[in-house]
Amino acid sequence: MAGKSGRTISNVPESPVKRTIMSWEGILVLVLILVNIFCACFSEFYNIGSLLNQMPIYLAEVFLMLPMAFILVLGEIDISVGSITCLCATTACLVCNTGAPFPVVILASLGVGAVCGMVNGFILTRFTELPPMIVTLATQIIYRGIAEIVLGSGGSISANNTDGFKALGKKLVIGGELNERGRLVGGIGIPYILFLVVILAVIFAIVLGKSTFGRRVYAIGTNRTCALYSGIHVQKIRFIIYTVMGLMAGLCSLFLVSSSYGANTTTGTGFEMDAIAMAVFGGISSTGGKGNLAGGIISAFVILCLRVGLGQRNVHAQVILLILGALLIAAVALPNIIGQLGRALKKK
Amino acid sequence: MNNKSVLKRITGSREFLLAVIVIAMFVVVSIFNPAFFSFKSVMDMMKNNAVMMVMALGMLCVMLVGGIDISITSTLALAGMAIGMLLKYGYIHNTFLVFVIAILIGLACGMVVGLVISRAGVPPIIATMGFMYIYRAMAYLISHGGEWASAAALGSFKDFATLKVLGLSPVIWIIIVCYVFFFIFMKWFRTGRKIYAVGSNPEAAEVSGINVKNIKLMVHAIMGLLAGLAGAIQVSVYASAMPDMQQGGEMDVIAACVIGGVSMSGGRGSVIGVLFGSLIMAMIPRALPLLRIDALWQNMIKGVLILIVVVVNVILQRIADRNALKKREA
Repeated sequence: MAGKSGRTISNVPESPVKRTIMSWEGILVLVLILVNIFCACFSEFYNIGSLLNQMPIYLAEVFLMLPMAFILVLGEIDISVGSITCLCATTACLVCNTGAPFPVVILASLGVGAVCGMVNGFILTRFTELPPMIVTLATQIIYRGIAEIVLGSGGSISANNTDGFKALGKKLVIGGELNERGRLVGGIGIPYILFLVVILAVIFAIVLGKSTFGRRVYAIGTNRTCALYSGIHVQKIRFIIYTVMGLMAGLCSLFLVSSSYGANTTTGTGFEMDAIAMAVFGGISSTGGKGNLAGGIISAFVILCLRVGLGQRNVHAQVILLILGALLIAAVALPNIIGQLGRALKKK
Repeated sequence: MNNKSVLKRITGSREFLLAVIVIAMFVVVSIFNPAFFSFKSVMDMMKNNAVMMVMALGMLCVMLVGGIDISITSTLALAGMAIGMLLKYGYIHNTFLVFVIAILIGLACGMVVGLVISRAGVPPIIATMGFMYIYRAMAYLISHGGEWASAAALGSFKDFATLKVLGLSPVIWIIIVCYVFFFIFMKWFRTGRKIYAVGSNPEAAEVSGINVKNIKLMVHAIMGLLAGLAGAIQVSVYASAMPDMQQGGEMDVIAACVIGGVSMSGGRGSVIGVLFGSLIMAMIPRALPLLRIDALWQNMIKGVLILIVVVVNVILQRIADRNALKKREA
C-alpha cells in the first residue's frame, strides 16, 4: 500500500526485511527488474551499453523530479517548470552566442532559472490564498511567452560554440576507447550526467528524509496551520523550495542544450507533467505529506528503462505515453481499491 | 444583505466588474481599429473560440466541486479524430450522426475519468494527467499513427460551420444554447445546486443526503460530453482532424474559468463569469493584431492578465474581509 511508504507510525513493529519488501519502494524495485527483463526480451539491442548510451536525453528530466518531490510533499504543484526550462535553454544559447566563456553560460542559465523560481515563490508567499496551480499556470504562459518574444519569429536558436556543451555531454569511458568520430569502441561509457543525477539524488533524498528541513517540509504538507503554530517558517521554506525548483530547471536546460545544441519554443513542453508523473508513480502523494525520494528515483529509472527499451523497437512515443498514463493511474488507484476491498471484507 | 438595492447588488458583483472590463477592452480596440467593431468580426471571434467557450462550461462544473480536468483536450482530440476517420473512410455521412457519435465518445471518456476519481479516490490532477496521455495516444492510434482527415475527406460535414441558420452560424447557436442551458441548470435545477453544495462543503453535503461520489462522477461526465461536442465543433470549424489538435488548450480553458472568477477550491463561480472570462480570453488573440502588437506578445500578455486578475481578486477579498471585521468590532 502507498500508505506504507508514507510516514505513518504503526503500533506493531514489523521485521525490517518484511517491511522493505512489502513497501512501495520494494514493489518498485520489483517492477524495475521486471521492466528490464521485459525490455531485454522485447528488444535485442537492449543492454547496459545501449541503455547508458540513450539515457542522457531522459535523465535531464530527473533533475526536475527531485525538487518537484519536495513541492508535492508540501501538497502543492508547480506546472511552470517546463517553461522555465525553455527560457533557460534560450538564455544559454543566447549567452553562448555572444562569445562568453562557458562558465558564464552555465551561471546565466542557472541564474535565470533561479529568478523564475523566485518569482513563483514570491507571488505564492505574498499571496498565500492563491492556489499554486493557478499561479504557476500563469507563470508557465508568461515564461514561455518571454522565450517566444526573445526567439522572435523564427522560433528557434542554435548555439554557435558547442565546445562547452559537448564537454557536458561527454562520457566516462571504462575499458574501451573513443574512435576519431566520437563513437565508443568496446567497454562502456558512463555519461557524466548520470553521476550528477546520482549525487544530486542522494543529496536531495538526505535533505528530505534525514534533515530538519525535510521534516519541516513533511510537517507543512501534513498540516500547514499546525506547522505554522509550532514555529516553522512555512513561507520561507516554500520560497526556498520554489527557488530550487527553478534552479534545477536551469540545470536541466543545460543538459538539454548539450544534446540538441539549440532551443526552440517547444523545448521542455510537458516536462512538468513527466516530473510529476515520476514522483507520483514513486509513491509521493500529490495531496502532501507522504512518500519519499527513494521511491521517486526508482520510478524515474523504471520510466527511463521503459522509454529506452520501447523506443529501440520504434514503438511510437505516444504508445509509451499511453503505458505511462495507465501505470500512473494504476499506481494510485490500485492501493486505494485494495484498501476499500479490505475494509469491506473486514466489515463482513 | 437583503436590504441592498438590486442595482447595488449588480454593480458590486464580480460579474459586473468583468462585464466592464470586456466592454472597456471592446471600446478601446474599436477606437484604435474600427474594423473590430462589426457584427461579423465578433461572430468570427466567437466561432474561432467556440471550442474554448463550450469546454469552459464543463470546467466550471469540475472546478465547482474542487476538482480539475486537464484531459479535456485529449478527449477532444479522440472524439474529433474518431469522427474524422469515420468520415474519411465513408462509414457515416450524416452530420447529425457525427455529432451524436462525438458526444457519446466524449461522454464515455468523461465517465471513465469520473469513475477513477470518484470511486478509486485518485486525486483529480493525477487521474486526468494520466488520461491526458491515454486519450491523446488513443487519438494517435486510431489515426493510424498521425494520419490527417483533411477538408476533402470530411465531405459535407465541413459545410456545417459555414452554414447560416437564422442569420447565425450553427456553431454560434450551439454556444448560445449551451450557455443558456447551463445558466438555467446551475441556477434553478436541483442537480445544479447540488454541485455548488458539494463544492462549498463536501462533508455538509454528504450529511444532508447528497451522494457526493455521484455528483463528482456527473461533473466529469458533463465535462467529457462537452469535450466530445467541442471535438465535433473543432473538426467542422477548422475543416480538418489531426491527432494533435488543441494540444495544451486545456490551460486556456482553465485560465478562462479563473479569470471568470471560478475558485480552484470549489464552490465559487458562475456561468456569467465564465462567459466573460472566456470572452476576454477570446478577445486577446483577436485584438492584438488590430492594435499592431506583434503576435509573439500574445502569450506573455495572456499570462500577465491571468496573474493580475487573480492577485487583484485576492487583494479585494482581503479588503472586504478587513471591512467586515471592522464592522463587527464597531
